[in-house]
Amino acid sequence: MLEGGKISIRQLTILVMLVTIGDSILVLPSISTFYAQQDAWVSSFIGMTAGLLVVYVFCMVGQLYPHLTLIQSIQQILGKWVGAIVSLLFLAYFFLSATAHTREVGDFLNIEMIQETPLQASQILFISIVIMAARLGLEVIGRTAEFFTPLILIIFLILIMFLLPQIELERIEPLLENGIKPVLMGSIPCLAFPFLELVTFLMILPYVTQTKKIRQGFLQGALFGGIVLIIIIAMSVLVLGADETSRSIYPSYSLARKISLGRFLERVESSIALMWLLTISIKITLYFYAFILGLAQLFKLKEYRMLALPAAMLLIVLSPLISPNITYYNVLIAKYWPYLDLTYGLLFPLLLIGVYYVRKISKKPTEA
Amino acid sequence: MKRSGLLLCICISLVVFVTGCWNRRELNELAIAVGMGIDKSGDQYEITVQVVEPSEVAGKKGGTSSPVTLFQAKGPSILEALREITTISPRIIYLAHLRVLVLGESLARAGMADALDFMSREPEARNDFFIVVAKEAKASDTLKILTNLEKVPSVRLFSTLETSEQQWAPTTTVKLDELISVLVSEGKHPVLTGLVPLGDLAIGETRKNTETVKSPAELQYTGLAVFRKDKLIGWLSNEEGKAYNYVTNQIKGTVGYVSCPDGGSISLKVIRSKTKVKGSVNDEQPQIEIEVRAEANVGEVQCHLDLTKNETITKVEKWANEKLENLIEMTVSRVQQDYKVDIFGFGEVIHRSNPKAWKKLKDHWDQTFVNIPVHVKVNSKIRTLGKVSNSFLEQLKE
Repeated sequence: MLEGGKISIRQLTILVMLVTIGDSILVLPSISTFYAQQDAWVSSFIGMTAGLLVVYVFCMVGQLYPHLTLIQSIQQILGKWVGAIVSLLFLAYFFLSATAHTREVGDFLNIEMIQETPLQASQILFISIVIMAARLGLEVIGRTAEFFTPLILIIFLILIMFLLPQIELERIEPLLENGIKPVLMGSIPCLAFPFLELVTFLMILPYVTQTKKIRQGFLQGALFGGIVLIIIIAMSVLVLGADETSRSIYPSYSLARKISLGRFLERVESSIALMWLLTISIKITLYFYAFILGLAQLFKLKEYRMLALPAAMLLIVLSPLISPNITYYNVLIAKYWPYLDLTYGLLFPLLLIGVYYVRKISKKPTEA
Repeated sequence: MKRSGLLLCICISLVVFVTGCWNRRELNELAIAVGMGIDKSGDQYEITVQVVEPSEVAGKKGGTSSPVTLFQAKGPSILEALREITTISPRIIYLAHLRVLVLGESLARAGMADALDFMSREPEARNDFFIVVAKEAKASDTLKILTNLEKVPSVRLFSTLETSEQQWAPTTTVKLDELISVLVSEGKHPVLTGLVPLGDLAIGETRKNTETVKSPAELQYTGLAVFRKDKLIGWLSNEEGKAYNYVTNQIKGTVGYVSCPDGGSISLKVIRSKTKVKGSVNDEQPQIEIEVRAEANVGEVQCHLDLTKNETITKVEKWANEKLENLIEMTVSRVQQDYKVDIFGFGEVIHRSNPKAWKKLKDHWDQTFVNIPVHVKVNSKIRTLGKVSNSFLEQLKE
């Protein structure tokens, strides 16, 4: 086995939660409010409900071959050649996602904090940590996530509690003004970004110690993460208003800017930003790790660690290339990315389950 | 061994190359702007920036130069003008500590929206400064006056507006994000507080202004500027401004007087106030109901009233209700007739309560607003009388 490490069920839950929050906390409020206006919180609720169902599907895929990762089970299910093609597609998806998220971090820092610093400067620093984590293996990633979770939750609670006085309930009225359709449109990104992207976890499920509790842990993590996102989206609308939320590029950061307690606790937004820098870094690490591990498994390499550096170099070069400017990137994320997620996060897993059972049924008579 | 040596080399080279920040902003390279004024002259924006003089504001007392300095520049856009200031200022303008943004009346009359995009886009600028309009003056004039009590005039302008909104109520504090959300709203028009420079402005620019007991030049907030979308169309008086704040539920504390039937008056300190505005649409005719609940204490008595009797209290409450109802009704009808713009946000109320009807109404809302019936109901409660019950004036009479 390429990966010798094991993670506990609690680490799995925490990882799922952090990846669910991931970059969604930055981009989701603006995108879902763009469609659903003041009803974005309803969208996120629908998104989470559907998301939990999708997580259930992931668990089913994971149980087909409990000891194999996604890439290995694809080859078992679809055969050598078709399996290889689908595996490559998945690997490309993992890699592209990691790239896009790296770009997101760079853009965020560039827009809100360090405007004249080149994109690459912050990205290289960011990716160095990702390389390190991926080389150290799954156990270290799991423990890092466990270590940072209290900090992330404390920052989140501070953000929410200090904004409570600024809530104005009338900002979410009237409910369902333009009917249910825009709300459903808004719930597609709410399903795609946090939950469909959890498909990566199929790469690490075999390394979880208590196999029987995987479903419970996975669902719990997704639920906690989803609740955090619902709260953030609701707060964006309640404090900033639907109009400003959809116009802001990073509403969560605007939210953090709003914190002002008395005259002494204000201007704390950069400390609050630590929260999503941590969750995004965990998310990128996991995608990156899934990519190099899957690549090594596909080509039956003995080692996956030596892939980390070259892959990271590709990533650094690709991330400025995927879009020439922020508008292009935002259009890409808002209009096309959800469908990419739908393809890999829903269509392919369902296909795998389907093919598995069709083959099982057609096999039986020959065996008997 | 070799490996750890290599690692050490890498670490040392990292220490050399990765220290510090790319985008560092050293404090002594920044001109910290506390006040900014925007005027329009011809096609160009005229920007006035009030910058803190660090050595004068620092703890040590007694400098001889002014605590702030002023930079002015013209340009086709605000950013251009701001950058042009570098040709006269040794430091670059830093906007994160801006306290007050003053718009000149001529700019406000021509339309202020274009000037606001820069402030909302610039990542360095925050949303925590107040926006006011220089009434019958240029924005630059208001930023030239030196003040006492607060060394930095813009900080004084900020605190003055905040205090007067909380204690006196005819003024209103508006921040950038609030202003923009009102500007884009279909059911509301913005309102900003007016700022007037008074007295001898020539002396106001010099340090002499802070040397005398009574400053020769002062800055005072007065009246509310009424906008149609982003264009200033007129002013509300202080009393009307108070009514505006009652309707929009922004009263934190204020003082109102009630005339007694046999001469004299009684002043009430309002300590709490809550306004509910309800909208309804019957047969496509919108209707607004305003319900004010205020709690007040007796603050000053200048007429003959027996405050020890409960009936008197009830009577005073009734007078206060009638007076406030009158004030609000008059203000609303004056805005309906003279300005014909919905500054109270009645459109938003209808939007929230009846989204379907709003879809039909919103295209010609301002025409509809002029004629909608507004019912006002005030319910004030008097709680305490202050330190004494009946006034000593009762015994004073012959």
